Amino acid sequence: MSYILNRILSMLLTLFLISAITFAVTNILPGDVAMMIMGTQSNPEALAGLRESLGLNDPLLVQYGRWIGGMLTGDWGTSLVFKEPIAPLLLQKMTASGLIVLFSMSIALICAVPLGVWAAVHPNRWQDTASSSAALLGVSLPDFFWGIMMILLFARGLHWLPSSGFVDPGEDLLLAFRHALLPSLALGLGLMAHLTRMTRATMTGILNQEFIRVARAKGLGERTVVWRYGLANAVGPVMTVAGLQVGYLFGSIIVIESLFNYTGMGWLTYQALLNRDIPLIQASVFVIAAVVMLANLIVDLLYVLVDPRIRLS
Amino acid sequence: MKLPASFRTSKGMLGIGLVLAILLIAVIAPVLIPADWATKMDMRARLSPPTWAHPLGTDQLGRDLMYRVLLGARTSIAIASAAVLMSIVIGLPLGLISGYAGRTTDNVLMRLVDTLLAFPALLLALTISAVLGPNLQNTIIAIGIAFTPFLARIIRGEALRVAQMPYVEAARTAGNSDARLIVRHILPNIMPAVIVQSTISLAFAILAEAGLSFLGLGTQPPDASWGLMIQASRDYLDRAPWTALVPGAAVALTVLGLNMFGDALRDALDPRSKGAS
Repeated sequence: MSYILNRILSMLLTLFLISAITFAVTNILPGDVAMMIMGTQSNPEALAGLRESLGLNDPLLVQYGRWIGGMLTGDWGTSLVFKEPIAPLLLQKMTASGLIVLFSMSIALICAVPLGVWAAVHPNRWQDTASSSAALLGVSLPDFFWGIMMILLFARGLHWLPSSGFVDPGEDLLLAFRHALLPSLALGLGLMAHLTRMTRATMTGILNQEFIRVARAKGLGERTVVWRYGLANAVGPVMTVAGLQVGYLFGSIIVIESLFNYTGMGWLTYQALLNRDIPLIQASVFVIAAVVMLANLIVDLLYVLVDPRIRLS
Repeated sequence: MKLPASFRTSKGMLGIGLVLAILLIAVIAPVLIPADWATKMDMRARLSPPTWAHPLGTDQLGRDLMYRVLLGARTSIAIASAAVLMSIVIGLPLGLISGYAGRTTDNVLMRLVDTLLAFPALLLALTISAVLGPNLQNTIIAIGIAFTPFLARIIRGEALRVAQMPYVEAARTAGNSDARLIVRHILPNIMPAVIVQSTISLAFAILAEAGLSFLGLGTQPPDASWGLMIQASRDYLDRAPWTALVPGAAVALTVLGLNMFGDALRDALDPRSKGAS
C-alpha cells in the first residue's frame, strides 16, 4: 500500500514539473497570444491594451500560477485557431486517439508475443531468423512509411478501407472502426516489431534458466514448460516495455493522424504547433505527457499484481 | 586485425556493409555529383517512372530521384549524427555525475530526466522545432534535446554499477580525487554502453528527422532530405508511388544497417547480452 501511495505522490510531483516545463518552453515562442489574436498588422495601442487585459504583462510566475489555477479548476482557456473552449475539445480528441492507441497496442501484443516466443523456442533456426528479420525490418521503417504503403495497398489499390478521415464511434460504430483500422495498423506494425524483439530477448534469457531445466527434467510437456513456466515469467518485462511504448505511440500519432487526416489528439497538437496556438499547445502537450505518465503508473501497479515477488519484498 | 565474432555473422557483415556504404555515399556523393543535378527540373519527364535517363524515376518537378536521394544522404546523416553528438555532450556529464554522486544530486537530476521522459520524444522534438522555428540547425537541437534524457538515464545506470566496483573503491582509497576517479576509472568502463546506445540512437535520429521533415517542422527546402522527399510524394502516390518508395527505401536501408551494426556491436562489447537481440 505504501508503495502505491509513494508512486502516486511522486507522480503528482512529476506532473507539477511537466506543467512547469510545458509552460516555460511555450513561453520562449516569439510573439504572444495578443499578437495571435489581433495579427501582426494591428494597432500597437490596441495590442498593448489587449496584452494588459489578458495579463501578459504580469511576471511569468504569476502567469504560470494563473494557468495552473485554470487547469485545476477546469478552465483551460480557448483555442485561438478553433475558437472553442479547450477542455471539451481535448476530451473529444483524446477519445478518438484512445481508440487507435488501444487498437494498435492490441494488434501489436497479439502478434508480437507468439512471434517472439516462437523465435526464442527455436534459437538460430529458420523460425528465429524469419521472426527476427521481420521484426528488424519493422523497427527500421518510419511508421508514416507503413502508413503510405497501406494507403496505396488497402485504400487506393484494393478499395477495402477509407484512406482518411475520422468517424465518431457513437454515430456509426462500423464506419468508425473502418476509419480507425489503417492508422492503427500503421502504428501497430512498428510497435509489434519492438515488442517481438523484446519478447524474444526476455524469453531467450528465461528458457536458459535452471528452473526451466528442472521443469523439463521432471517430464513436463514442452508446451507447459514454454507457455506456463516460461511465458509467465516474461509477462512482467514485456508488459513494462509495452507500457513504455505508450509514450512512443503518443509521439507517433502526431505523424500518423496527420497522414490519415484522423482528427484526434495528434492531429490537434500538430495544428496547434503549426498555427502557434499557444494555449492549445500548452494544454495538449501537458495532457499527452500526463496520459503517458499515467499509463506507466498503471503498468507498474499491474506488475505488482502479476508478479507476487515484488509484493513480498 | 580480426573482426569480433559477432560481426562475422551474416547479420553483422550486412550491418557493417550497409553502414559503410551509406557513410561513403554521404561523404563522396556531394563531391562527385554536382549539386544542381538534384535540382535540375526536366519538365518533359515529370513523375517519370524509372528509365535509362532517370534510373530511379523523377518527382513532380521532373527532378532526378537518384541524385536527390544520394545527395539527401548527407543531410539526413549529418543531422542525425550532430543530434546524437549533442545528446551525448549533454547526457554524458549529467548521467556520470548523477550516478557517481548519488543521494540528493542523483534524486534531483533523475527527477528532471524522468519528467522529460514523460514527453514523447517526437512530441518534444516537434515542440522545440516549432518554438525555435524549423530549419536545419534547429532540427538538430530539437532531436538532440529530445534524445538527451534517454542517454542520461542509461549512462547514470552504468555509472552507478561501475562506481560500486571494488577497483573504483581501491582507487578511491589510494587517494584519487573524484574528478580523476570519474575520468580515469569510470568513464572508460561505461564507454562500451555509450557507443552501443549511440548507434541505436543514430537509427532513431534518422527516423525522427524523417518524421519532423515529413510534418514540415524539420529540414526545409531547398535542402534535400529523405523525410522531405517522402512528404513531397504524398500528393502523387496514385500516379507515381516510386516517389515515396525511393526515399523510404533509403531510410529503411540506413536504419536497418545501423540496427544490425548496433546489435553486433553490443554482442561484441558486452558478452553478457549475447544472443539477446
